[in-house]
Amino acid sequence: MTAPRRTSTPRLVLLCSLLAIGACSTSEWDGRLTIWHQMRPEERALLEEVVGDYQAQHPGLEIDLLYKETEELRSAYQAAAIASAGPELIFGPADQVGPFASMQLILPLETLIEPAFVDRFDPKGAVWFADHLYQLAPMVGNHLALVVNRDLVPAAPHTMGELIEIARELTIDHDGDGRPERYGLVWNYFEPYFFVPFLGGFGGRVMDDRARPTLDTPATRKALELVLALRDEHRVIPRECDYNIADTIFKEGRAGMIINGPWSWASYVDAGIEVEIARIPLIEESGLWPAPMVSAKGYSLNANLDEGPRRAAALGLLRHLTGEQVQARFSSQLAVIPTNRRVMESDAVRGDPMLQASLAQAEVGAPMPVVPEMRAVWDGMRPVVQAVLGGALSPEQAGARMQAAAERGIREMHEGEREDASARVLGGLVVACAAALGGALYLLGTRFLRPLWRMRSGAERESVSFALMMVAPAALAMAAVVVYPFGYNVLISLSNMSMSTIRDWQIVGLVQYFKVFADPVFYQVLLRTVVWTLGNVALHVFFGVSLACVIHQDLIARRFYKALLILPWAVPQYITALTWRGEFNAEYGAVNLLLGKVGIEPVAWLSGEGTTLAACLIANVWLGFPFMMMIALGALQSIPRDLYEAATIDGAGPWERLIHVTLPLLRPVMIPAITLGIVWTFNNLNVVWLISNGGEPSDQTHILVTYVYKAAFNLYRYGYAAALSMVIFAMLALFSVTFLKRSQAAEESVR
Amino acid sequence: MMVRAWRPAAIVACLSFPFLLWLGAPPSGAAVAALLLACALLAAPPVLDFLERHPGLARLVSHGVLLLFSAIALFPVLRVVSISLRPGDRLLSTSLELIPEGWTFGAYRQLFTDQPFLIWMRNSALVSVTATLIGLAFASTAGYAFSRYRFPGRRAGLLGVLTTQMFPATMLLLPLFVLLARLQLVDTLLGLGVIYVSTALPFSIWLMKGYYDTIPASLEEAALIDGASRIYAFWRIILPLAAPALVITALFSFMNAWTDYIVAAQILQDETMFTLPVGLKSFQSNMTTEWGLYAAAALIVSVPVVALFLFLNRWLVTGLTLGGVKD
Repeated sequence: MTAPRRTSTPRLVLLCSLLAIGACSTSEWDGRLTIWHQMRPEERALLEEVVGDYQAQHPGLEIDLLYKETEELRSAYQAAAIASAGPELIFGPADQVGPFASMQLILPLETLIEPAFVDRFDPKGAVWFADHLYQLAPMVGNHLALVVNRDLVPAAPHTMGELIEIARELTIDHDGDGRPERYGLVWNYFEPYFFVPFLGGFGGRVMDDRARPTLDTPATRKALELVLALRDEHRVIPRECDYNIADTIFKEGRAGMIINGPWSWASYVDAGIEVEIARIPLIEESGLWPAPMVSAKGYSLNANLDEGPRRAAALGLLRHLTGEQVQARFSSQLAVIPTNRRVMESDAVRGDPMLQASLAQAEVGAPMPVVPEMRAVWDGMRPVVQAVLGGALSPEQAGARMQAAAERGIREMHEGEREDASARVLGGLVVACAAALGGALYLLGTRFLRPLWRMRSGAERESVSFALMMVAPAALAMAAVVVYPFGYNVLISLSNMSMSTIRDWQIVGLVQYFKVFADPVFYQVLLRTVVWTLGNVALHVFFGVSLACVIHQDLIARRFYKALLILPWAVPQYITALTWRGEFNAEYGAVNLLLGKVGIEPVAWLSGEGTTLAACLIANVWLGFPFMMMIALGALQSIPRDLYEAATIDGAGPWERLIHVTLPLLRPVMIPAITLGIVWTFNNLNVVWLISNGGEPSDQTHILVTYVYKAAFNLYRYGYAAALSMVIFAMLALFSVTFLKRSQAAEESVR
Repeated sequence: MMVRAWRPAAIVACLSFPFLLWLGAPPSGAAVAALLLACALLAAPPVLDFLERHPGLARLVSHGVLLLFSAIALFPVLRVVSISLRPGDRLLSTSLELIPEGWTFGAYRQLFTDQPFLIWMRNSALVSVTATLIGLAFASTAGYAFSRYRFPGRRAGLLGVLTTQMFPATMLLLPLFVLLARLQLVDTLLGLGVIYVSTALPFSIWLMKGYYDTIPASLEEAALIDGASRIYAFWRIILPLAAPALVITALFSFMNAWTDYIVAAQILQDETMFTLPVGLKSFQSNMTTEWGLYAAAALIVSVPVVALFLFLNRWLVTGLTLGGVKD
């Protein structure tokens, strides 16, 4: 059975006709082509130029360019293509080909483009997946290389031993506080992409030709030991380092070397640093060069393009943008490695020293696998690399852990394929659906229609119809935007929707729910979410109510304080979350700098599981207390003064008045606010996701919503994520209703 | 002296110790912190007594506490200001100075000259204001019905409004997109506006209903007896009285639309259709972020909301009355 892909509720049709103002039919193509890309600013400017020239040669054609960040490009294109929309062309790294092709979102090109054209490309430039050509790439890039600051390092080291020697000399810690003023080497070594070159340097690779991970090898251990030695034995790299820190330290001239990709090189030149690009040095022990990932970047065609003038135009543009002329422009102006054989042999390419250095590094690099399984490999590696660097795991254990995690991820990725909808489950499902529908109809009849029918008096009927009329617009708006997606979600949660089944998913019954409850990680994350939520709300209420009590007195400048204390609430959350992430950085964050001022040792906030949660907690308490303060302040103002006077006459001190007068009177107002606060905190993705950078370290800081988000948008496990979100919904609904009812009952019993 | 706060002190000590351990504090540190917290609570009643006897000192302490928290509230915002003034694209520095060395308004100038920033601003303003006005109309009427009238489906409706907050919002993105694509509303401000109206409604309805509950029903009953129509009673008598709640509801609806990034990023696909937060994110690319531009734009996004909050400060307390589900 294929699930219905069309909704035909009358309401939708109505909305459709009401809202589709000005929407024209798309049968006739209007001469517009759109390209979504993720080129960096300099490349963007050149692409605009190239496209402008092309438009000038082809009157009647209008080409729109839209930049999106890589991850966003992926998720936005996915959603658009699934909904039969999206751009005609999409430009991105070759590793997005696997997922897109598996989801049938891009067109196979081998039948649309003659072999002679494809033959002009270096093999790296023509990206095949599952026996189809899906992408033509005009450039190769993203490979990491060693960038040397010539002022500090006159000649780039050739071997790792030389590098260590130079780096030791360069690393200076004047005041001996363990935070060197200058480092020998910096790079984002917490991220697997930046670790992988060393794996290659010891003869390892991430996966074999059949897309099976190959991480449980001595190479993994040796590569990790090398990074640890650089940090702990030779002390030439920062203790905690992410991309921005490495980048900034190098730009400030406070590091001799950095490992970074072609996207960054021009910015170092701009920062006034005389740089030399070199291969990441040879590992003496193995006699091998470290092998960074080399990825083609190119164009694919949207699978929703049917044969016709639109597709022909898109193909023409694709050929132009990947052709010899454009490649020559890109490589001569931006030192991008071309894929066209003739351009590769040209003098312009051969004469450019930076391009030659880049090519030299790319030669020893490993081609980035395009299969979707690569995502599971990255996800399997990241937590283990971080755990080893955080000291929670030894390098010996790492390989086996990575291998197991990657294999598990791949299994989950393919989960939809292996499950066949069994007739029995389906039958049960139909019965269940029928029962639910019947129940809903019964409730509608008894609770809604019968009372309406029974209303005899005209006045009552009139008042009810007035009330319904007042509610109708809001109810309709919410129904359209909440009820439909919710129903869709229920359906998906009963399906096997995942990456490979995204376009032809089937209803498989409660399988996903069983999976949720059978997963031990779920209980762990649930417990963490509960503690996280309660801790947060308790602190929100504590600070909110305390400050409200202080501010409620007759003080000068009350309004001034109130205005300042509201700030955390008024600034958009994602902005504050990102700011706070910066402030928790071990070496540059304000938190540690301030702690240092009062003589407290710096804390490596974002490398430990607990401390990361503490960081999230601090940020979230900061964000959330003003709301509770305002609510409490409103309630305080409505407490009559004479109650306090009476209590004082009875001999109550300020503490007794707080406990016996203020708090009981605040309760009825605070209970709904607390309920909302709990629900909001439970479901707040922003803070935890942004501050922990998606569950780091080691996926140990997930709360349920971030876990859901990751399952759906990073791992394509839509069915599973939908089922999990239904579970979250059920838990919260159950909690709120009982909590509100019980507190209400408690209140009434007091009266 | 009588130990009056022993119970809360004991509870706090027992709860905070495991909580601090969970947050990665060393056991000895957690124990010390828990004990300190308990002692602070034990000391609270006598300290309060003492302060009551010395009002001058009490005022001083109050100002001290408020100043401290104001500084905490202000500090991260000032850091963003500082980043936006830094030359080049250097987010990091070990200095805590507010005005960085070699400060420049370059990022702001670049925003207004090189970027389609004004178009994004117009889009944001258009969609936020429209969504706010429509949302306000819907919430004020629905909240009124929920507060004053008994009708079939009322309880279910109130619970329904509450439960919409309980579904992880990100999971609604994909189906919403599919829905909008069918209605051909992708990449339109209209589609975005429809979503903003609906997502802000539940909280708005709750706010309005809570406030109407505090207005005595006798007011419009008298009018109805005098022969006024129900609409008249609502429009001319109750609505003006509910002004504080209207202001607050408008503020929240506006903030919901103005600061949203996730929905807008999914729906808007053309750079000239972007709202501010989506435009803001385009300064963050795969590896490099133009932090100066990002911080400057972040501040500009925040300014209207902060200004509104400050301007509506006095209404914020009175208008913010959350109603319960009870009758």
